[in-house]
Amino acid sequence: MRKKVIYAVLGVAVLAAAGLMIGRALQTSLVYFVMPSEYARDAASFDGRRIRLAGLVEPGSVAFDDAGLELSFNVTDAIQTYPVRYSGAPPDMFQENGGVVIEGRFHDGVFVGDNLLVKHSNDYHPPEDGHVDVEALKESLR
Amino acid sequence: MQLELGVVGGAAAFLALAVALYGAVVGSVGAVRRDARLLTSARLAAVAGFVVATVAVVVMEAALLTDDFSVSYVAQHSRIASPVWVKVVTMWAALEGSILLWAWLLSGYTALVAAIAPLSPLRPWALVVMQGVQTFFFFVLAFLANPFTVLPNPPLDGPGPNELLQNHWMMAVHPVLMYLGFVGLTVPFAYALAALITRRPGTEWMTSTRRWTLTGWGFLSAAIVAGGWWSYEVLGWGGYWAWDPVENVSLMPWLTATAFIHSVQVQERRHMLKPWNVMLILLTFALAILGTFLTRSGVVSSVHAFGSGPVGPAFLAFFVLVVLFSFGLLATRWEDVKDRAELDSLVSREGSLLGVNVLFLALTFAVLLGTLFPLIVEAISGDRVTVGPPFFDQVTLPLWLLVLLLMGIGPLLPWRKAEEQSLRRNLAWMLGGLVVAGGLAWLLGVRKVYPMLTVGLAGYNVVSLGLLLSGALVPRMRLAQRPALQVLRSYAHENRRRVGSMIVHFAVVVIAVGVAFSSGYRVDEQVRVDLGDSVAFEGYTLTPTELFVDPTAARVSAGAIVEVRRDDRLVATLRPRINVFGGSSRAIPTPDVLYTPWHDVYLNVNSAITPDTTFVILRVVKSPLVTWIWVGGLILVLGTAYALGGATRRVAARVSVPAAAREAS
Repeated sequence: MRKKVIYAVLGVAVLAAAGLMIGRALQTSLVYFVMPSEYARDAASFDGRRIRLAGLVEPGSVAFDDAGLELSFNVTDAIQTYPVRYSGAPPDMFQENGGVVIEGRFHDGVFVGDNLLVKHSNDYHPPEDGHVDVEALKESLR
Repeated sequence: MQLELGVVGGAAAFLALAVALYGAVVGSVGAVRRDARLLTSARLAAVAGFVVATVAVVVMEAALLTDDFSVSYVAQHSRIASPVWVKVVTMWAALEGSILLWAWLLSGYTALVAAIAPLSPLRPWALVVMQGVQTFFFFVLAFLANPFTVLPNPPLDGPGPNELLQNHWMMAVHPVLMYLGFVGLTVPFAYALAALITRRPGTEWMTSTRRWTLTGWGFLSAAIVAGGWWSYEVLGWGGYWAWDPVENVSLMPWLTATAFIHSVQVQERRHMLKPWNVMLILLTFALAILGTFLTRSGVVSSVHAFGSGPVGPAFLAFFVLVVLFSFGLLATRWEDVKDRAELDSLVSREGSLLGVNVLFLALTFAVLLGTLFPLIVEAISGDRVTVGPPFFDQVTLPLWLLVLLLMGIGPLLPWRKAEEQSLRRNLAWMLGGLVVAGGLAWLLGVRKVYPMLTVGLAGYNVVSLGLLLSGALVPRMRLAQRPALQVLRSYAHENRRRVGSMIVHFAVVVIAVGVAFSSGYRVDEQVRVDLGDSVAFEGYTLTPTELFVDPTAARVSAGAIVEVRRDDRLVATLRPRINVFGGSSRAIPTPDVLYTPWHDVYLNVNSAITPDTTFVILRVVKSPLVTWIWVGGLILVLGTAYALGGATRRVAARVSVPAAAREAS
């Protein structure tokens, strides 16, 4: 009987410790996937967090310094636009008006990314009249 | 009239479905009525099912190799210009074909069980379960993902398979190993259900499937390591494991299967953990199906996600069915399965095996949670999130280290209860190993916690293996008065299962050290170099001397020839490149690697290569000891094969030490 109590207490303690550990780990490593306009709406809640910022590369904003390996461009969803810095070469298929997902953090209004993915989706084409359906765009960049 | 391949293949798929359904129905009726004629018919159906499925596979391969674009799968996924090996493996490069491969391997295993498994009260029901699973797969193949649809207006050429998949020969190996693993573990699952159905919850279902289980586990392990190496050689980021959902879903059944392999020993020796063992194998199979649902439904995206369609929901329905049926059955049989023995002491073999089981289940749970959490969050709040590698690292690393800790002490503990004196002596030796190895790592400059702990635990485990071996060999040497090597050879021959497990445990140590260092001390940089210039990287000098272009019928390769020097001595000439496969505009960066025992130098081209290119941007990764992961994987497979080999093991093991000594004298 006493043995059973000891095992039960041990079991509960282990489970509680595991739960705490998992909860904390989830809290720190959850990465939200947001569009620039969504970020703008709720910037405070993403403060200092690592996020995946998705949108289109704004035409005319791309600059690549091949000596310093610094890529900068603006990411936009037609409602909100943010400047992005990325250390490294632009990946293959990186182009103006193309879909991108950048993983990183905001520092003083500039999004500093350490991972840049190009999304070449067939489902979404930026419309010519400038009106963008953000939900459809977000879906296509997933 | 010429018979079209698509028609023949489609007919074979439907016939295979009919045969599997027939076998399942007739087999269960025969088992209920104990009618030998019906049971024989079901067994023959199992063999016939394999023959019919083989016809479907041969037809598919023939269509691929002859570029018969009237077959829908060939039109969608093959290309005339592909080399022969790519055409052969294209069969499993997309959804429909991969289901055909799985179904075919399953029918092969079913036929094998029908042909060679000894007659037992369990076999008929096990065959029914396997034919039931086959029914599902052939149903999906025939109705939901039929690759044999005949196109009235076949195209002249197709787009070819996914570029990432045709970029490396591992495509021929890894998926097949994975399915052989999943299918192999279907056998113990089927026998476990058979044991529940027939109310024979003893050890028979486990012992009679031990080889099948170990074979399936070996294939699954090999598949996971091979998949890691493939991703290392192909994906261009210099890593091998990204906690990608598709990697996770292959790991989960492996974790539960590994737990199962360990806990069955407790039931064999002590008749405990009966319900636990049944649950583990049910869980293993269910997780394999869940994983297929997750990766095939487009719910999570990855290179393995073949897009959405009715196949995903079908797998989800099958998963729900499997879980409800098998766990429901377990619930109704609970009184038969319930344990009656109790654990004497935690400090015993069974205690350590139970402990390692808890750890493996905790790992499974953590991986499952991390994989499913984005789906849960999206369902609740609509937010899109991903759970990054930091979660998996934080949660699983301590658990992996605890696994290493138990792996060292567990096999040294006796059954029932350990004697304090021998336990202390063994522990002292092993802690010595831990301190020496850890100290050595410290002297060599290792300061990070996890690599340090891993090296320490590696030393501890090596000492443990030494103690295990010497504990077995020293008394035998005294008795037999023979040199150590001879005694070792005969011991290893007589105790294949035990020696095999030692080899596998050693392999795990090797892999652990490789993982700890390659992830803990990885250097990852991007550098820009003009052609002809040099750049220094971690003691190496990298010189891209010139560009090269290497076109073949299937693809165009363009890259840089990079000379790698160390101390002014040329150690390698690497050719990282960018491949563009015809029929696609997608450029696939293809790394080149200098493999050495101490560390790899991994080069990937990150900039476009055109005739007027004057500089290249290289991603350069140095991963210490990463090669030992692949070496460890190989040792693990060899150890598993060693444990499986030798059919006369049981007879040989009966020969006691004194008898062996008499024989020798």
